[in-house]
Amino acid sequence: MSAGLVVGGIDVEVVRRGAGHPVLLLHGMQTVDPRAPFLEMLGQHAQIIAPSHPGFGRSRRPADFETVYDLVHFYLELLDALPHEKLTLIGLSFGGWIAAELAVKCRHRLDGLVLVDAFGIKVSDRETRDILDVFNTAPQEVRRLSWHDPVTWAPDLDTLADDELVIRARNWESLCLYGWNPYMYNPQLKRWLRRITVPTLVVWGASDGIVKPPYGRAYSELIPGSRFELVERAGHHPEIEQPRAFVDTVVKFLNR
Amino acid sequence: MDAWWQCEVPYPFVPQEILNATDSVRASLPNRYCDPKVAADLFEEVIDEFLLCDDLGMNVLAVEHHAGINSLLGANPVLVGILARQTRQVRILSLGTLISLRKDPVRVAEEYATADVISRGRLEIGFVKSGGTEMASNNANPVNNIERYWEAIDLIKKALSHHDGPFSWEGKHFTHRHVNIWPRPWQQPHPRMWSATGDPETAAEVGRRGMVHVLVLRGPDGTKRAYAAHRKARAELGLPKVTTDNFAYAAFVYVGDTDDEGLRVGSKLLWFLHTSLKSAPQYSRFLPGNAPPEAAPQVYRTAPKAAPGAVLSAGQNAARLTSISAEQAMAQGILFAGNPDSVYKQVMNFYDQVGGFGHLSLVGRSGFMTHAESEKSIRLFTKDVLPRLREIKPVTVE
Repeated sequence: MSAGLVVGGIDVEVVRRGAGHPVLLLHGMQTVDPRAPFLEMLGQHAQIIAPSHPGFGRSRRPADFETVYDLVHFYLELLDALPHEKLTLIGLSFGGWIAAELAVKCRHRLDGLVLVDAFGIKVSDRETRDILDVFNTAPQEVRRLSWHDPVTWAPDLDTLADDELVIRARNWESLCLYGWNPYMYNPQLKRWLRRITVPTLVVWGASDGIVKPPYGRAYSELIPGSRFELVERAGHHPEIEQPRAFVDTVVKFLNR
Repeated sequence: MDAWWQCEVPYPFVPQEILNATDSVRASLPNRYCDPKVAADLFEEVIDEFLLCDDLGMNVLAVEHHAGINSLLGANPVLVGILARQTRQVRILSLGTLISLRKDPVRVAEEYATADVISRGRLEIGFVKSGGTEMASNNANPVNNIERYWEAIDLIKKALSHHDGPFSWEGKHFTHRHVNIWPRPWQQPHPRMWSATGDPETAAEVGRRGMVHVLVLRGPDGTKRAYAAHRKARAELGLPKVTTDNFAYAAFVYVGDTDDEGLRVGSKLLWFLHTSLKSAPQYSRFLPGNAPPEAAPQVYRTAPKAAPGAVLSAGQNAARLTSISAEQAMAQGILFAGNPDSVYKQVMNFYDQVGGFGHLSLVGRSGFMTHAESEKSIRLFTKDVLPRLREIKPVTVE
């Protein structure tokens, strides 16, 4: 099922699955593929609401929208527009950054936070990059570092349909606009993560070469009471490479 | 018609096997391959060539490119400052500080005003949108590059022409609360401004602003189309018609004693296309903002379907040029080479094909061309070609 939402005059596409406890799923560098098996699996335990960020997928980006600050406030309005008193927030990769920002600002609307291979903070010293520069690195290297098993999982641009390529290019452009500098993090966020008082699970692909597990552990340690879980044989997208293990980990957290 | 000598100070002395092995000769090639002693010799030769142009009455043009074998002119304002002082009579075009890469346009305005004063009013200010590798080497967001480009031009123009004490600028991309540059420029209200672009949308804006519009290595069709977009945009706003003085074209030019010599030595200029354009896909076809998302089916696939009638992006235009032969380059109006008569005829043939232009920029030294070869071309061009081009007066373009 897919029905859009209009929030603050901005119409966004939304992928929906399942029923029950509401889960707001914020996608990463690319939009969620409605055919992804983890959606069906997770949908058996929760009601998934997965919007495409403004500028991604088929969601409109207002011309004056170009920072993560805009996305965070867009999602604060989206939370206002949803009827549920409390939701669980899951953020993948770039969407994990947005999720962490939201959890700092809006903990009263959340009953749980799941960060999956999330961006958003600076951990290492000034000469050690935490997050692979996906824009300035050779595409085949980005592909290699993104997946535990790139041959099986990396999309083949030569076989994707025209409209899928256009969406990917649109996502790439918006990601660049929002995340270029400082590259994929907010220097101020780390300081405020202590405000996240909702139960938090940090999930990481053990083979993630885009942003490595030690970063995830550090992220988790900055959020009071948060738990850190590795998903084996998965890279930056454990929800795609190991959907069963990923969903089991998340469901265990939801049913805690 | 006026002429401008241009040399980008390329650094061709990197072993070919290194160039073959690297995915990009720009942005990411380690600078250990650039010997500063060799670079110093190159700068000395090229600056001497600019000074020879000054002696012989040909204007000079300083470009800016970053972090690659194609050009050592990352710090364009330094060269402009040297030319402002060391030349004595010709005009100096900076084409240009890559303003959408610079954090503070006010500082650029200061540099330009200073160079204009030192040269006693001989500076012209050109703007270029920058290439994909330069986004990486300058940490510049490629997606909203064009917005920064125009906003920086607006701010520089105001900083140069405002003389009543500090003003405040709180724009979308630049903020500066206290702008008041010293010295102010020699030329009032500001030095003439140029812009280099081939895409119709930017060309239209260049037209609306009445800037000198320069096309680089675009060939007759792309050049004619861009000039037309410039004129059409002016007509739509009811702005006065411009003369050919508003239009410029940059091509490889080599003048020898004979056609054979002109072509033989001039072919060396194609190194720029064959060797120095090599750029990794992340800096070109996969770079966000390089092409609209709708072009992804043509851009992302390894064997794209051709899009008939589409205007080539700067990157696509570059890809087309990497394998060009000297004969093809001449046929396409990218290379003008031969004896003085032949070069004159080739320039005028191109002039007729595109409906006229008032400025020829000679990309006159590149690759392994020697200092002596460059100087020979400068001497022959200024003696036997330039006087004839000067007879072509600006005409209103219909």
